[in-house]
This record gives sequence, structure tokens and C-alpha cells, in this order.
Amino acid sequence: MQTVTLTIDGSPVRTAKGSSVLDAALEWGICIPHLCHVPSLKDTGACRICIVENVRNGESKVTASCTLTAQEGMVIRTNTEKIQKFRRNIAELLVAQAPNSKAIQDVAVRCGVKEVRYPFRNDNCIQCGRCVRYCTEMWRANALGFVGRGKNRRVEFPFATRPDFCKNCGSCTLYCPMSVTPCGGPMKRGEESLCGKCESQTVTAPGMIGACTRCDLGKGFQCTRHML
Amino acid sequence: MNHWHYMCILTAFTFIILTGSQTLINNKLMREVRMSMPTIDPILEGRRSQPGQLIEVLQDVQEICGYIPADAMKTVAKELGVPLMEVYRVANFYKAFTLKPRGKNVITICTGTACHVRGSDLLIDQVKGQLQLEPGETTKDGTFTVECVNCLGACALAPIVVQNGSYLDHMTPGKLRRIIDKTRGAKRKEASDA
Amino acid sequence: MRKLEHFEELETLRKKVVAQRGKIRSTVIICGGSGCQATRCLSVIDAVKKEIVKQGLDHEVLLRTTGCHGFCEQGPLMVVEPDNFFYCHLTAADAQEIVSSTLKNGKVVDRLLYTDPLTGKKIKTEAEIPFYSAQYRQLLKYNKLLDPCSIEDYIAAGGYKALAKTLTGISPKAVIEEIKSSGLRGRGGGGFPTGRKWAEARSVPEDEKYVVCNADEGDPGAYMDRCVLEANPHLVIEGMMIGAWALGARQGYVYVRKEYPLAVKHVKLAVKQAREMGILGENILGSSFCFDVEVARGGGAFVCGESTALMASLEGKVGEPRPKDIHTVKEGLWNKPTVLNNVETWANVPSIILNGSGWFASKGTRGSKGTKIFALTGQVKNTGLVEIAMGTMLHDIIFKIGGGPKNGKAIKAVQAGGPSGGCLPVSKFDIPVDFDTLYKMGSMMGSGGMVVMDEGTCMVDLAKYFLKFLQDESCGKCVPCRVGVDRMLEIVTDIAEGRGSREQISLLQELAETVAETSLCALGKTAPNPVLSTMRYFADEYAAHVDEKRCPAGVCKELIHYDILADKCTGCGVCLRSCPHDAIKGEKKTVHAIDEQICRKCGICVTECKFDAIAVV
Repeated sequence: MQTVTLTIDGSPVRTAKGSSVLDAALEWGICIPHLCHVPSLKDTGACRICIVENVRNGESKVTASCTLTAQEGMVIRTNTEKIQKFRRNIAELLVAQAPNSKAIQDVAVRCGVKEVRYPFRNDNCIQCGRCVRYCTEMWRANALGFVGRGKNRRVEFPFATRPDFCKNCGSCTLYCPMSVTPCGGPMKRGEESLCGKCESQTVTAPGMIGACTRCDLGKGFQCTRHML
Repeated sequence: MNHWHYMCILTAFTFIILTGSQTLINNKLMREVRMSMPTIDPILEGRRSQPGQLIEVLQDVQEICGYIPADAMKTVAKELGVPLMEVYRVANFYKAFTLKPRGKNVITICTGTACHVRGSDLLIDQVKGQLQLEPGETTKDGTFTVECVNCLGACALAPIVVQNGSYLDHMTPGKLRRIIDKTRGAKRKEASDA
Repeated sequence: MRKLEHFEELETLRKKVVAQRGKIRSTVIICGGSGCQATRCLSVIDAVKKEIVKQGLDHEVLLRTTGCHGFCEQGPLMVVEPDNFFYCHLTAADAQEIVSSTLKNGKVVDRLLYTDPLTGKKIKTEAEIPFYSAQYRQLLKYNKLLDPCSIEDYIAAGGYKALAKTLTGISPKAVIEEIKSSGLRGRGGGGFPTGRKWAEARSVPEDEKYVVCNADEGDPGAYMDRCVLEANPHLVIEGMMIGAWALGARQGYVYVRKEYPLAVKHVKLAVKQAREMGILGENILGSSFCFDVEVARGGGAFVCGESTALMASLEGKVGEPRPKDIHTVKEGLWNKPTVLNNVETWANVPSIILNGSGWFASKGTRGSKGTKIFALTGQVKNTGLVEIAMGTMLHDIIFKIGGGPKNGKAIKAVQAGGPSGGCLPVSKFDIPVDFDTLYKMGSMMGSGGMVVMDEGTCMVDLAKYFLKFLQDESCGKCVPCRVGVDRMLEIVTDIAEGRGSREQISLLQELAETVAETSLCALGKTAPNPVLSTMRYFADEYAAHVDEKRCPAGVCKELIHYDILADKCTGCGVCLRSCPHDAIKGEKKTVHAIDEQICRKCGICVTECKFDAIAVV
């Protein structure tokens, strides 16, 4: 097996050739927060939570680590002030869209969101694409897909009706972050808030940001790292 | 041959004539029904099993049928070898495709920057008020569909409105109101003449 | 059409056609581009054709229908050679006089001449019109010389000479070196050095490669590519062929947006004629080069102007961009090395090969060589396509070529680069127009759209307009663009409707920076530009909306109301009848009044009133 060695946050990391930077980091216990990434499925770079700085020739470029293939000699920084600010802003946008999910609330708090400066909305889907990818890549049923563009983009069956070729596997519901309700129960429309109560352990241990502490973050996502 | 024979032959003859003409009439009706639902077979010619041709095929379907019928999507999926979900996605993604039949008169208002700066918003307001429609919708009687397009490339003649393929330049809300009235009037005259 | 087997046959054909054309005494050139078709030029062409035959001149006079000349607001327009008379705003009824006076007797018809808006005088010839004379029409000058539906016209004008020169004596590597030293940079918006792109693609060890022409000109307010494709499609095809030779590609695609039906038609016809003549296909003109072009239509999506989205669309998929950590020159169309360039970039290639890289590099600035076509539109007197050498002062483009403000209101700003670009205030017009200067000022060359705005344009409203456009066209895949642009629009709408606060302005700034750096593709990355540039240069307008709840330009509906001025109103009732919401009341010949509760501020009454009696307050 061919390997490449790259530097992440100052530490040399060796990983199989063809791995993504995100996979390499997670293998080595450097926890880059992520949302739409699922270990067995193709990465699309949709949520932009896993962003890192890729330093080349003195210039650093912000890019998603799940779609960035690890190359020999790469220099990656996962937790600069700029990255923390951007990650926090993106998580803030997400929790303002869909506060009614423990998993989304947890991501937001994990990324350092203390207050939400946008009016809350109450969407049922944050378009992470897990359901679509399970259906298309794992089960090859092609019963779910992203339909429409921009604000009207949604996950839908063909003609908005469950087709007869749907295999009834249940993956779409099982892996959906929205299916994990907040511990205080679903929030009523107009009364949404950033609860911040069910936060992951990493936030209470400030010195440990970036290291995996087997956080509760994994519970909503079937994060398989804590099983290693 | 006596009277009885003649009666039998006459009855048989009449029977043959009647059933024969009934079959002829049925065939003609069947042909008419088949002709009124445009066939998309010629579009698929030379493109079967080529997933890359999906968008070109749907463009032709849109031109011939005026929209993308659900049945057409299913046929295209089968003939091109593309999952139905994918055909449905492509039909929904591109503005060129409509999933519902459009009205007899399609009024397209250009909302490009040059047209916006010269008042295309006023044209949208005019049409909203006159036809009680949001852009993208069709009137209940199927006479008008209003659509917006993000630049037609005739910016020096802004604001532009396209009616059924003809470009109308330097439009004002007043001009648009008169054009819609004229079209309505023509349709009413057509209906009363018929 | 006979197939040509060898380069010499091309030269023979060229000489033959030129000789034939030389016998013509007079040529009538009428613009048949989309813009002029909108002003009914086809009826003019028809009428002139009939008149020429009727007056017995069809053996001495050649009628040529060309593509777009770029001066669309004057259409339908005509140039009569050899005197170079320029007639504009034609109708079918003018045909008889034109043929009998000008064509038969060489006399000019004064009333049809162009009137200079600055001096008020009539101008006789096309060469004297300031709009044209102040330009450097390197590419556009061919438009009136040829009928886009005739490959012979193109050949007579010198077409496919560059291709012949390349195939008979310039190696692929040498072609790339020539393009590199010319300094040609992409004309589609990115400004990436073209020679470097070709070199990178050539270096990939792969047999199957592609060249693609991006004609999905989605920027609202830009129509340069439409003009070039409608008027001179062979020029683009020739450029692509030279690129394909340099790259080692056998197949090319022209992706034209569906909203340009005439451009699609002309490119398809040009490809057909080139195939028939043996200029496209196997063993072109006796060489070992094999190349063909396919024309694909866009589906109506601005995002498909982005290279990875365009390639996805060519593959028959939805136009969702993919991350560009691996460039498309390495893995592009069907994961093969692909060179994608804009229409204007390809159009510049033949002349670089014919005249040399030094010739091209002799114009322009240090970082931006050659010429660029801009679409100058909006509130200027002379709107149309402007081709200038890079480095021309922005002030000259807008005031000299453009002729200054149109409606008497002072010019306030110019938006360059479309929705991905930024605006520049009039105080900053003293800059040379080139890639790096515009970028430094917070704007962008983009594809070349230049929309001029006057005092009657509200910059907050403009930022709202662009955000709405981008929200509509966003593919929706990534969070910063899908949600971020939506939230930016929410904040700017709050500001425009009088609910804004200072905190929102700083939040807007922070959000804009986040979207700009974290989005997946260039659409999202450049989406905040209109907001950032208007906030930078027009902070006072934002402040007025937030602190005083006032719209200085009188545009934002919630902050204005309409008043009928008692001293000007004649009671004619035009406003009452034209109001679509029945908000105006009044008896005949008495001063009318607008009911503010019902009034939706659509502004229709203001445009209909002939006495300027309605004021925006």
C-alpha cells in the first residue's frame, strides 16, 4: 500500500495514497468537525464545516478537507482563528435554519456558536445529502435525489411519490441528522432557540479542541471513530 | 330465389356495410387520438442508450410537447439508460424545462441588469396587476403565461419583453398593458366568431 | 459545396471569391443581429431586396446581411459601400429612397443619417461616428465584412489562413509558446493566462482530450459573445481548431445558452458548412489533423457558465459544480484533460497566429494585453458593444465613447463584471481598464458587462437585485452559498425596507467575508462582491437607509411615497386609467390624488404622466 506524509497542525501524518485530508486527520485523532461526511460514502463537500487552510507557497487557501486529496508534503492547518470564525459562522447559519435537531445543535455548539444573530427558521432538512447518497451509492435504488435549484432545492422522490423501486431499507431515516430530536423535545415554531444544553464534552475542556474525546457529537451521526 | 332469400341477403349486406364503416370510423378516431399526443420516438432516434444526450433530448421534448410530460420522462429514462430520478432531477434543474403546459401566449420579461436599471420591475408589477399572476404562473383560462428570464443579450434596447418568440424593445408598463389587452381582445373575438 | 482536399485549394477558392466580389460596384450591408431583429430589421432587408430588383440594380449591387455590429440602439442600421454612408433607425418604407438616391445616384439621404447626441449634428460616414472612431475594433471590424451564413465570405475576408499556417508549419509546442508570449488572458471572467492553461493540459499523458467553447454568457447586461457568435462563428471555430491542434484533441464542443437562438443557428450552420468543405472532419485539408465540433444548448442556468458545471451539463447531468482542487485541465469533461475557454478568447487566437505574439502584446498594459469587448449599457447616451485596447481609461469609455449621462441625471457609478463583479463610483473613473486594476479596486473585468448608473439608481437596491439574481441561480449544493446568500438578501431587504440596524451592517460584512472564502465554486465565492463593493464605496447610502430610514435615490418602495403636484396636474386622468391597483382618484379636469393605503409604488403612473406632475418623495 502506497502512503503519503503530510503535515496537519504541525504534526506529520502518514496516510494511504488517495485518502482525503479529512480521513487522514480523523485516523490520527485530529477531529475536524464534519456533518455531511459519512465514512463509506463519497464526499461531496456540501456542508463546508470541515474547512481547513491549505498552505502553498506562502499562501493559504480555505478549502473543504473531505474533497481534498492528501498529497505528499501538504501543509494543513485545521484550527486557525480564521478557520474557527468561518466554521462558527457556517454552523450558525445551519442552526438558524434547522434548530430542531440535537445533532445540528451539537455541531453548532461544538464549533463555538454562542449566539444566533439571524431570525430562526424551522426547516426539516439541511441538505447534507446522506439519505441521497445511501440510496444511490449503497443501495443503488436511485429513489431519492436533490431536486430543484438554490432556495427551492429539496430532497424528493420522482414525482414526489415513493416509487415502487424504493427498497424500504430505512437508511434515509436512520442516518438523517434531523431525526435526532432535542432532549427537551421538539421546539415550537416561533420559540426556537440555541439550547446549548446538550453540548459535547470537548467544549467543556477548552485545551482539548481538535482532539477526539469520544464526544456525544458522534451519537447523531453514526460516527464510527469511537468504535476504533 | 324467393322473398325470404332477398331479405337475408339484404340484411347481411346492410350488416357488412354498417360494421365495415364502423371499423373505418374507429380507425380514423384512433389515428386522431394518436396524432394529438405527440410522439417522441423521432427525438430518441440515434440517441438510445446514450446518457450524455439527456439534456438535448429533453430540449426537443420541450419544443415538441410544450412541456415535459411525466410519461415522456419515463420513456426517456428507459430508452437512454438513465435512472428516472436523474431525468426528474435534470427536468427540474434547468429553467428551459417546464413541467406543466404553458398558456397560449407566453410573455417573457427580461430581468437582466440593463433592463432592471431601465425599469423592468415596473413591467413585472404591471403584469401582476393586470393578469393577477406571479412570474412562472399561467392564467386559469390558459391564455397567458408570464415568465422572467435573466438576460437575453439585447441590453441596448432595454427593457425587453418577448411575446411568443418576438422581441419587443423599449417597453413601458403602458405599452405592455395595451399589448395584453389587444391579445385578450383578439382571443375574445376568436371565441365569439367560432 | 465542393470538398477541399488540400490547402492550395483553399487559397484558390479564396482568390476566386475575392475576384468575384471585386466586380461589385456597391455593397449594402444591413445588420441582422438579434438586437436589430427586435427592431424589425427583417422587414427592412426584405424591402431593400425587392427594391434593388425592381430598380434593376441586382447585378451591380450586393446586399449583405451581417451579424450584430454592436450599436443596437440605432437599429435597424445599414452601411453603404464604397462611400461608407451610415443609416440608422430604418423602416421598410425607407427602402425605395435608399435604393433610388444612394445606390443609383450616389446621393446621401440626410434624414436617415446618425445624429451625434453631443453636438446635435448629422454624421455622414460610419468612420466619423465618435462611438466607433474612439474604439479599437480589432475583432468586431470583421462583423460587417461577412455574412455569417456564408463560409465563402469568411474565406474571402482571410478566414482559415491561420489554420492553414498552423497545420502546414507550426508544431503544437510552438503554438503554445506563441500564445504564452502574446500574454492572452481568458476573456470569460477569470483572466487566467491562456498559454499556461494549454501547456498544462498538453502535459497530461492522456490520449483523449477535449476543447470546449464557453458561450453560456449568463452575466445579465453582457452580450459580447452573442455578437461574436452571431456575426463571425467561423472565427471561433478556427480558434478552437488551432487550440485542438496544440493540445492533441480530436473533439470540440460549443456550449451556447438557449436564450441565444440565432447564435445557436449560426454556429450549427457554420459547423455544417465547414464539414461539407472538408475543414472539419478527418484529414483536414490533406493534413493528419482530425477534428470535429458539436454544438450543445444550455438549459437556462447561470451556474453552467462555471467550467465544472458546464462540463457536467455537457455530460447530460445537472449543472452542479464540483470542487476544483483537481483542475479541469487534468480531469475535466468525462474526467479527461479539457481546455475550456470563452468565445472571445478563442476568437483572438487566429490573429495571434497570423500576426505574431509581438503584435498582440504591443497593445494593452503590462499585465493585460490585447483588446477587450465590453457591453456598455444602462444610463448612457451611446449603448452598445465597445472594443478597446486594455488600459484605456474608464472615464473615456463612459464619457467619450458612451457620450455621458442619458437622462440628464448625473452618472453615479458603473457595475463592471456582472453579478460577480463590483461597482465603482464616478470618483474612481480615472483608472485604466485592465484585469489587475479593476480587481484591486474591488471590482472585476468579468466577461465584460458594464452597466452605468445615474442618481436615480439606489445602490442598496442594486445590491438587493444582484443577491436575488444569485439566489435564483445558485445550484444550492453548499451551505455558504445556498443559505449565506439567502441570509445576506434577508439583511439587505431589511435595510432597503427601513428595518435595518448598525449591527446588521457589521453582520452583513462578516457574513459576506465568510461566503466569499468558504463557498465551493466561483459563483458563491464572488456572490458577496456587489454587497462588499457597494458597502465600501456607498456606505453613506446604507447609512441613510439605516439611520434615517431614507432612500436618497428615491427607489426603495417602503421609504418613499408618491405625490401628485397640484400645480402641475391637469386632471387628464391618464394616471388614473393606467394604475393597475386603482389607487388614484379624481374627477376630470381636477387635481387627482393618490390613496397611500392602496398605492403599491409600482411607479407606472410616473412614467405615464405627460406633465411630470407626480413626484417621488
